[in-house]
Amino acid sequence: MTDRAPPPPGLWPEADPPSAASGRAAGTARGPVVIELDSPAPSPAEAPPVPEAEAAPPPGGAAMQAALRLGARGPSALARLFWGAAAGLLALVLGLAVWDYATALLARSTLLGTAALLLLGLAALALLLLALREAAGFARLRRLDTLRAAAEAARAAGDLAAAQRVVARLVALYAGRAELRWGAARLRERQGELLDADALLALAETELLAPLDAAARAEVESAARQVAGATALLPLAFADVAVALAANLRMIRRIAEIYGGRAGALGSWRIARSVFAHILATGAVAVGDDLISSVAGGGLLSRVSRRFGEGVVNGALTARVGQAAMEVCRPLPFAALPRPRVTETLRRALAGLFER
Amino acid sequence: MLGRIADELARGVEAAGAAISEALLEPVVRLGVTGLARSGKTVFITSLVANLMDRGRMPQLAAAGPGGTIRSVWLQPQPDLTLPRFDYEGHLAALTGEAPRWPESTRSVSELRLSFRVQPAGLLAGLAGPRTVHLDIVDYPGEWLLDLGLLERDFAAWSAETLRRAEGRAHAAGFRALLASIDPAAPYEEGQARALARGWTEALAAARAAGLSDCTPGRFLLPGELAGSPVLTFAPLPAPAAPAPRGSLWREFARRFEGYKAGVVRPFFRDHFARIDRQIVLVDVLGAIHAGPGALEDLRRALADLLGAFRPGRNSWLTGLLAGRRVERILFAATKADHLHHRQHPRLTAIMEALVREAKDRADFRGALTAAMSIAALRATTEETVEHGGERLDVVRGTLLATGRPAALYAGELPEDPAALLSPARQGAERWLGRDYAIMHFAPARLTLRPGEGPPHIRLDRAAEFLFGDRLR
Repeated sequence: MTDRAPPPPGLWPEADPPSAASGRAAGTARGPVVIELDSPAPSPAEAPPVPEAEAAPPPGGAAMQAALRLGARGPSALARLFWGAAAGLLALVLGLAVWDYATALLARSTLLGTAALLLLGLAALALLLLALREAAGFARLRRLDTLRAAAEAARAAGDLAAAQRVVARLVALYAGRAELRWGAARLRERQGELLDADALLALAETELLAPLDAAARAEVESAARQVAGATALLPLAFADVAVALAANLRMIRRIAEIYGGRAGALGSWRIARSVFAHILATGAVAVGDDLISSVAGGGLLSRVSRRFGEGVVNGALTARVGQAAMEVCRPLPFAALPRPRVTETLRRALAGLFER
Repeated sequence: MLGRIADELARGVEAAGAAISEALLEPVVRLGVTGLARSGKTVFITSLVANLMDRGRMPQLAAAGPGGTIRSVWLQPQPDLTLPRFDYEGHLAALTGEAPRWPESTRSVSELRLSFRVQPAGLLAGLAGPRTVHLDIVDYPGEWLLDLGLLERDFAAWSAETLRRAEGRAHAAGFRALLASIDPAAPYEEGQARALARGWTEALAAARAAGLSDCTPGRFLLPGELAGSPVLTFAPLPAPAAPAPRGSLWREFARRFEGYKAGVVRPFFRDHFARIDRQIVLVDVLGAIHAGPGALEDLRRALADLLGAFRPGRNSWLTGLLAGRRVERILFAATKADHLHHRQHPRLTAIMEALVREAKDRADFRGALTAAMSIAALRATTEETVEHGGERLDVVRGTLLATGRPAALYAGELPEDPAALLSPARQGAERWLGRDYAIMHFAPARLTLRPGEGPPHIRLDRAAEFLFGDRLR
């Protein structure tokens, strides 16, 4: 490789073109090299794409994103340390006080002391059982979550074996439900014939979840009706807020129960939080879904009665919360069955108001 | 004279009435079942009708489910009074009888109409009440289908192409020897013409037996009542050096070729293909892969020819015939998917897609909805995983057609990239390199069907949903 063609003019614009010899000596330009290899080259089909030249990222609202990140971050380590230490201290104080009280009582009278100790033990046992129940509730919720994630993964990958595992877990989850026995039997009959992951999941959804969806919808309708009625009829300020909150929380808990995610108090709180997070993520009022707020809130109904219009809007919001709760608690995402619509739910809920 | 005019008038009024009723009252879906010979058209139609009448096994057809819109289904007498009825009962009895067997191959056209009573769902459903949707299905011999490719060729082009393809093939040797002894410019003589036609028919039959697809003209193989008529008494000829004189063999054969196109092919196309709304193209991909690269390439070419005939909007004789009707949905289905374990179905589908890539892209571009699937209209096997030679094999089990004995089959691993099969086929490879495929033919299994269940299948419901599920809502 000593012989080189002269470089085309203009290749080195700022300096005089180096000759072959001087170029090699200075080490600025290298001649062509061919290295013969023994091992086969890796397939270009699997090579990563050639990286593009680094371009400036498009404007993305950095300040807002930073603010969102700050907001989304949990409490800082210091704050957590403080709260943890404070709670521990409180528990210590309380425990010590109770213990002192019991020993003092024991010193004063054996009978009273024994009774106090017994009560203490009972309380501790009950607390333990409560904690266990909460833990079981959380485990059930986690199972629903993992089921949904597995179903989504199986559907996306088209993996029949994964879908079969999901369906088996789903059937096991609902094995004790008498009202689903029919659907589970039909599913068992048909599932061997389906050789597509999405078809199998769709069949499981229509056979197992359709009755549950209907029950959950009935819950949502009942809650929306309650909230609408309370807003329209209760004369006390803030009483309607309390009713709405209670009705929504109860609705969320019942929906979770229907889908097999029975949870204790903490678990319910946890579901409520994820439901509200879901609503925030998907648009609070979902104006695109329906125009109830503009029609009922600002239009005809509010002309008739302001409270009544507000009742309908609150009912619509409750229906929206219920829909979000269904999506959060459902072990399979809505795919084969249509997602319930807020307008439809509200229409049925309000029709029911007058029927009952 | 007057009688004839009145007759014409009555027929015109009838046709107009039917068109209006179709547009306003009772929509008709014309399902075109397109497939070469032995691709399983008859079994597909039989199983589809049986599964639509007993919808227990159609969970993927949304209208047939528990909350579905189909109220009832009725197998009607077909609307075309001059066509025989598709022998549904006979074929179903053959498939589901005590000693089940595949139905006889189709020898002529037949038709069937399935009428659905549909309760529409939706906001105004309560007002509308149930309505009727008809599904018209036509069955015909696959051999006839290849003739559609002839419509755009003249005798010289067809002869040249056909002879070029037949060149290296052993089964056409007799015909080539025959050809060598004649002069196309010589005066026409009927005995010679008959000998040539017979020789070509034999070559076609041998080609078909070898698994090849391009057997034109198709009526030579299944002549029916046309046997011996002049339109079936010709053969491809080498082009004469000088323009052939009047009255020569070449001129006479060219005339008969045109007559064949005008009198046999075009009516078939006009009556059965020009009015199709939805189309399923059944292709026995596995059989072609089994037969070797030559058969696969042949199949690809035949399909390209065939699907080219359906091109709407092209400036040819077709535009006038189509009169605005277009095929809205096309499903390319690789049949006999029950010969493969379901793990390999995506690969089979990919090969199917690659085979018809050109036609599919064109249809997509024109706005039609297309899809590819691996289906089995009648499932004859069950799946199993067995230990064999120290590794786990995903096999299918069934009863062999040839011996009647139960067997497990692993057909060979299809490549992930369809080009691994299609490229060697296109380059004219003799056999698959480093791969081996074997398809055994399975006999239909003996079935005991519960009430409400149709015969077992693979993805027939999904195919039905794609093809006409939207018209049943």
